[in-house]
Amino acid sequence: MVNQSKVGGLKRGLFQASVIGNERICTDHYRLTLAVAAGFPPTLPGQFIQLGCSPTDHRRAMGPGGLDGRDIQWLPGEAPPLAAPGLLAPAAMLKRPFSLAGHVIQDDGRAELEIIHRVVGVGTAWLARLSAGDAVDLIGPLGNAFGMPEGRSIPLLVGGGVGIPPMYYLASWLSRRGYRGVGFIGAVSRDLIAGRLIEPGPAIPPGGPELGHSAAIGEFADHGFGSVVTTDDGSLGMRGRITDGLETWIASATRSDIESAAVFCCGSTPMMRSVAAVCARYGLPCQVCLEQAMACGMGTCQSCIVRLEPDCVARTQGQPARKPHGQNEQGRDWRYFLACTDGPVFDSACVLW
Amino acid sequence: MKLANPMMTASGTCGYALEYEPYMDMAGLGAFVTKSITRLPRPGNEAYRIVETRGGMLNAIGLANIGLDAFLEEKMPELRKLRDRGPRIIVNVAGYSVEDYTQTAGRISHEPDVDAIELNVSCPNVKDGLTFGTDPCLLKELVGQVRRAMPPDRALIVKLSPNVGDITATARAAVEGGADVLSMINTYTAMAVDIFKRVPRLANGTGGLSGPAVRPLAVYLVSRVHRQVCRAAGVPIIGMGGIQCWQDAAEFLLAGATGLAVGTALFVDPATPNHVLDGLDQYLVDQKAQSVRQIIGALQLPGDGHHGQPAT
Repeated sequence: MVNQSKVGGLKRGLFQASVIGNERICTDHYRLTLAVAAGFPPTLPGQFIQLGCSPTDHRRAMGPGGLDGRDIQWLPGEAPPLAAPGLLAPAAMLKRPFSLAGHVIQDDGRAELEIIHRVVGVGTAWLARLSAGDAVDLIGPLGNAFGMPEGRSIPLLVGGGVGIPPMYYLASWLSRRGYRGVGFIGAVSRDLIAGRLIEPGPAIPPGGPELGHSAAIGEFADHGFGSVVTTDDGSLGMRGRITDGLETWIASATRSDIESAAVFCCGSTPMMRSVAAVCARYGLPCQVCLEQAMACGMGTCQSCIVRLEPDCVARTQGQPARKPHGQNEQGRDWRYFLACTDGPVFDSACVLW
Repeated sequence: MKLANPMMTASGTCGYALEYEPYMDMAGLGAFVTKSITRLPRPGNEAYRIVETRGGMLNAIGLANIGLDAFLEEKMPELRKLRDRGPRIIVNVAGYSVEDYTQTAGRISHEPDVDAIELNVSCPNVKDGLTFGTDPCLLKELVGQVRRAMPPDRALIVKLSPNVGDITATARAAVEGGADVLSMINTYTAMAVDIFKRVPRLANGTGGLSGPAVRPLAVYLVSRVHRQVCRAAGVPIIGMGGIQCWQDAAEFLLAGATGLAVGTALFVDPATPNHVLDGLDQYLVDQKAQSVRQIIGALQLPGDGHHGQPAT
């Protein structure tokens, strides 16, 4: 994977953006496309943004440009306006982290960012109501990124539920570098697949085992990636868990294919733990994009802790080793790392699930 | 300790040193306040450590920090560079015993580029963390011992807990113990509940409430402590609690705060202190105030005489 220090250096910041589109892509997922003024730094797949999920004028005091208060008509002797947005309805105060699902830099230097979000609370419910031209603010790009391990050539992208979006960005990034691989997508049922369903999809490389179904995901096919879809209820693709899809591919692949493959994974913690276990069994390198509740995304609030083996992190991220905070029952050293600045991408072998 | 302007960061919301460099004008701060440093490293509490509530957030980080030695070795050089660009450096210190506090505060305050120590005697998220902050006798003793462990030219700031019956009692104890400055307030002990699992939403059970929800509570306490303790003693107050914009900050100044710290709002926009300062500058112009000193404590309460003196 790629360290944060090597991703755009310190060129991060708070940016104003305007909504280009906000399309509902399945039952409760939306694809939100944002235009950011020139100057937004280059990004890599796996990186995320902290997106403001309430009106920027609600948080006017905190956004550049509106801070002098002169635009709030609050004259001496008068009560503050009770219709101020903050007094009308509950609104998200903290920004929310979203993995990038895409990033295009236009000829004029403007950035077009894409995120896919699922409505789970007051912040994402507000995002769902955005339409073209609306203003949002965001901090980014944040975190480290996925990177193709040396000596590997077949990327296997494994995304479950809200972990699917970074896989689309990764597919586009890898395809521009000449890689072709497979996107594995898992969800509870068909209506929770955050993607464009097409058929038939490109062949499953290399040379492609037929996985016995016709479902394919447009976001992977666009970049020449085949798709393997699994749903818990069998309403689309294979019935089963995402690991069933991955193991089916492994079972039909040659030894040399397996030795050329690398897994990139994002999803719920139990899903990533299962995928990591499969990868460990077959000797596949696996990078996971971890998630934890966070307030800032900038390494200051110390909330988004994840337990990892410090020596392993040092080895796989090329950093000096840090002291462990403790040992688990198996005698393995662990330390709290921050998902936001140490990660979110880590080698799955380092994670104490 | 003289500051170029009243704006500071609130401990625990701004990291150790330069974390916010890409997002704000750090040189424009009056002072930078580090997160809490303890003598030994602390891993902190398990997840979940934060939860957002309406108008605020709860945190129970558990004083996760790299410890005194690593702080001096790794972070002091960065703070030194920052100080060269303007802001004074204030290091927040937490501990578990008088010796613990005196050792940590003593060593850090002897660093050439540390202007002040802020004592965290009121962390609600560690076992026994509140004891010093809630017992006036213990607090006075602690502050006295720490003061004696520090060079006389370094300021000692005591951060007060709002989780007490009478905050003027702890404020007075801190001043009598030798505090040069009081900062207030730390977070309110609070709880959020997962109504389906029927358990608290934080692994620690309780957490500290911060953000705009606490601002009116904080302004009230600053006003009380200013009038009943600090004005007569000539001890400045650093006011904090939910400051998001210059209007919020102006309330604290009027209530009696000399310094102002931004905490939770930094998570949303680290440049908030810069913006608040710009807004305050304009406010002073609009108020025809020659200096911020004409605003500090200028709040007129019911029953006050014509010059802001309390009736009693």
